[in-house]
Amino acid sequence: MYLELDQKNKQNMAIIDSEGSKITYGEVLSFVNKFRESVGQRALMFVLSRNCVGAAVGYLGAMANHVVPLMLGAGMDRELLETLIDLYRPSYLWKPVEMVEDEENVLLREYRYALVSTGLPTYLMFEDLSLLLTTSGSTGSPKLVRHSYGNLEAQARNISAFFELDSAERPMVDLPIHYTYGLSVLNSHLYSGATVLLTGMNVLNSEYWDFLKGEKASSFTNVPYSYEILKKLRVFRMDLPYLKTFSQGGGKLEEGLHREFAEYARDTGRKFIVTYGQTEGSARMAWLPPEYALEKCGSIGKAIPGGKLYIVDEDGREIDRPDTIGEMVYEGPNVTLGYAEKREDLVLGDERHGVLYTGDMVKKDSDGFFYIVGRKKRFLKLWGYRVGLDECENLIKAAFDVECACVGDDRCMEIYVTSGQDKDAIRRYLADKTGINSSAFLVHDIEALPRNEAGKILYSVLERREDK
Amino acid sequence: MENLEKYRKCFCDIFSLEADSEAEAAKLGSTPDWDSVGHMELITAIEDAFDIMFETEDILKFTSYAEGMEILKKYGVVI
Repeated sequence: MYLELDQKNKQNMAIIDSEGSKITYGEVLSFVNKFRESVGQRALMFVLSRNCVGAAVGYLGAMANHVVPLMLGAGMDRELLETLIDLYRPSYLWKPVEMVEDEENVLLREYRYALVSTGLPTYLMFEDLSLLLTTSGSTGSPKLVRHSYGNLEAQARNISAFFELDSAERPMVDLPIHYTYGLSVLNSHLYSGATVLLTGMNVLNSEYWDFLKGEKASSFTNVPYSYEILKKLRVFRMDLPYLKTFSQGGGKLEEGLHREFAEYARDTGRKFIVTYGQTEGSARMAWLPPEYALEKCGSIGKAIPGGKLYIVDEDGREIDRPDTIGEMVYEGPNVTLGYAEKREDLVLGDERHGVLYTGDMVKKDSDGFFYIVGRKKRFLKLWGYRVGLDECENLIKAAFDVECACVGDDRCMEIYVTSGQDKDAIRRYLADKTGINSSAFLVHDIEALPRNEAGKILYSVLERREDK
Repeated sequence: MENLEKYRKCFCDIFSLEADSEAEAAKLGSTPDWDSVGHMELITAIEDAFDIMFETEDILKFTSYAEGMEILKKYGVVI
């Protein structure tokens, strides 16, 4: 069964959330059976997820019954959700009861979530397709990552191996479980028989800390921005006797911050683990073992167990010399099948065959530790959330009568628009659509976008502009 | 600049507010942009403006314009 859920101690608590719900492994199994009685056949189901027991158990019920979930944030923009429903035509929705409308056909209500039948017919999907995640969730991009069952097994097994997880762990999960990183923490800990602490709150809520301390959380996993906040909150001075592991992923941690946390961990007998991953690799692909956290500060480490990392030049030839920059390639059982952009793509099989060109430009040192130096693909990670630049251009072009080009770095997206539109309105629109703080977006006027003879936008010219 | 003016300016600058009344009604979670990112920006701006350093619990309790004025009293800043 998925994550070997049927082999855990049935009395043990599987998930506790900060809304007051909890569920044992035995109750998860009962739910899986109930779910099977409601959904008799393989189908596509959208999960409108919040970090709570209800969302998690619906996801597990689907996975264990070969129903394919697409994980989406319950708070996502309605219009973007409708677009996805039109495009992928799911037969079922799993959503919070308060979002259920009167005329909807509810098949099951459990843990404050409801299984709704949309009446849309099921259709054929590739037999090994297990799960769909968005690439750039906040922009409502229709581009999805197709996972196999083997991907998720490998993910759970590998992560629990390198984190040395066991059933005594109590990870704090406030990363959204509809993102690959949050989901991987959930999966690997359930696989280990641990008790997952789920919350939709963040480190700036005092209830967050009440929950973390009250439930004796043993590990904290988060993105670089949360580490900046932790420092500001003077976490180094907090009394957190049960919190033994700090782990970071979701973008490059600034080196000074990396060092401070590594020193804190060393001085207090904790582990600080930096990891690297992306949705296309079922989350984690590299990790920096905690004993190297200081010595190799700024590095993402090496490939996780069962995987392989190497660097290629522009012609795809492997580079083995240290300190030479090239694109990082990952090979392993957690490399996903490929993308989908429409429902017909869900019949596609494995297009990557275990090899992933990460789009990240890296170098490695003479000891074989990898360092990220740049990015090839057109996306940013704003406050830890991946946001596609092309998707943002499309959103703006659809809503405003402008030509538009987006560039920038993980601190700020620079948006160039023609024809003197209200810059504040564009900024606010993007913040609303993506749910990301508007300070991450800066809008500039430009007379005309720089283009080459073929009409392609010259992003490098924009990146070099002085007004950035 | 008067303390009240300085205090209000922090809110107006960070959350792009124009009217004083908007600043005075500001609340974490309901004022656009006052999310975790905006919160850290606001805290830093206020610390700089009054040359103070908040304790952890005060950063967590600072959830509205009015609440912030109360908290600042602890640091000897009267608005």
